[in-house]
Amino acid sequence: MEGGRTSLAVTVGPVLAALTVLCLAPLGVLFVYSFFHVDFVSIVPDLSLQNYAKVLTSGAYRYLILKALLNGAVIAAIAVVIAYPVAFFIAKRIRVVKAALLTALLIPLYTGDLVRIFAWRLILGREGVLNSFLIWTGLIDRPIEALLFSPMATTLVLVYNYLPFMVLGLWLSFEALDDHLFEAAADLGAGRTTILVRLVLPLTAPGLVAGALMVFALVVGDFLTPQLIGGASGVTVIGAIADLFGAAFDWPLGSAIAWTLLAAMVAVVAAVVVLLRRTPWGNVMFGGG
Amino acid sequence: MERILKAYVELVYAFMYLPVAVVALFSFNSAEMMAFPMTGFTLGWYDIAIHDGRLLGGLANALLIAAPTALIATTLGAMAGLALTRHRFRGRLVFAALLIVPFFIPKIILAVADVIAMAVVGVPHGVAMIIAAQSLIILPFSTMVIASVLIRLDHRLEEAAADLGASGWQVFSRVQFPLMRNGLVASFFIAFVLSSSEYVVTSFVAGRTQPLAIMVASDFRFHLSPKLDALATLIVVANILLVAGSELVRRRAKGAVG
Repeated sequence: MEGGRTSLAVTVGPVLAALTVLCLAPLGVLFVYSFFHVDFVSIVPDLSLQNYAKVLTSGAYRYLILKALLNGAVIAAIAVVIAYPVAFFIAKRIRVVKAALLTALLIPLYTGDLVRIFAWRLILGREGVLNSFLIWTGLIDRPIEALLFSPMATTLVLVYNYLPFMVLGLWLSFEALDDHLFEAAADLGAGRTTILVRLVLPLTAPGLVAGALMVFALVVGDFLTPQLIGGASGVTVIGAIADLFGAAFDWPLGSAIAWTLLAAMVAVVAAVVVLLRRTPWGNVMFGGG
Repeated sequence: MERILKAYVELVYAFMYLPVAVVALFSFNSAEMMAFPMTGFTLGWYDIAIHDGRLLGGLANALLIAAPTALIATTLGAMAGLALTRHRFRGRLVFAALLIVPFFIPKIILAVADVIAMAVVGVPHGVAMIIAAQSLIILPFSTMVIASVLIRLDHRLEEAAADLGASGWQVFSRVQFPLMRNGLVASFFIAFVLSSSEYVVTSFVAGRTQPLAIMVASDFRFHLSPKLDALATLIVVANILLVAGSELVRRRAKGAVG
């Protein structure tokens, strides 16, 4: 189809141009800057590895990067556990209002980061809704200090922020799951646990991994939640990058940290894919069958 | 077992809506302090919020940015969606992977990369850059929405048109475009909502322009008041209407498939 061929260039071209100009090229420039350094108030364009040396030898930056990756993994794991039954329920127990339920799940996402964080601060604050409610009802005498500005609060809000992505990923897998397989397995004498472990988990693994990787990346990249909910515990590598581009003015070092973090994220994603390929689950996901 | 599952799912949904509900509840409470016990019903905070000239200016900025952003993101999303669903080409997977880069990459890293690139090329901070940067961030979402409609369309209609001698442009304008219009409308609404709530990248490239999200962010750091509850409730209601409306439109597109 000749018309098809011309329209391919017309459709892919502008999209690639936008991606290149607004994302790929800036990331390239950021990479180049990571080899420069700052002398007083000006950026010196001499190539060196000193920024990367600083990132890798400084305990603080190494700790922050590891903390970000670990946090991403923990939140993703929590989200998997919470979302799994929800995705199953929407896919397999709902017929009529399925679309409405999925939309309802996504609506809080569209309220924007700021509104959601504002709401949680209202709820968790020292003189906030939850503390005042508990005091008013007589369950406690004085406010619980640790509700806001604690790692627990950050975890709660991060799970809240990204849970819908996990449900969506899992839901797609559950939706593709053929109910007859359960019946066949049950007919052949498989118990509930066997069906779950040997059938349902492997077949929903693609959605699980896709959802978990989304949550992981979004948590690692979250700037506002740790800063506004975590208080003193909310120091993140993302915040450190922002600082270096703001008050601290060290663009080259900020660029090096940014690229180290990106490389670390890509490494984690690649490791997950490679590890999965080696498990029996991987055959289902990558074996084409 | 079934009943436990249903109760559990209800609990998760309650969790998702708890913050929204709390904000809405206290936007009607007369006290300045946002805490229990509640003191009485008032619409005063709404009155203050909608008569705040500074916030109204921010809202006007946000809408002026959201309209072109949604148009650009939807146009690019339509192109990407058509390329992904209608063509088998070499590098299709790479193209798809590149499209989700703006979604996966930490927003701060994208923001600082843009800031450096702007400094190198000499692009000033301001409205134009906000629109460009937001369009890119929203592109993965608009592509997904439009592709989800395109996948369900019967592509034999397009092949038939081409067989009957329609040019590539005619196939698009006479067959594809009318059929995918609902997807485009849905994408526009969703992009509009995402644009008006985007904060991180916007704040880095905004310069002196102050869209609503940036004002709300500074208010919420420095003077918390139920006025913000009222404002947030209005934003949430507007977003729900836009998103629910776009979902209705998008799902009506299903009728196109036989």
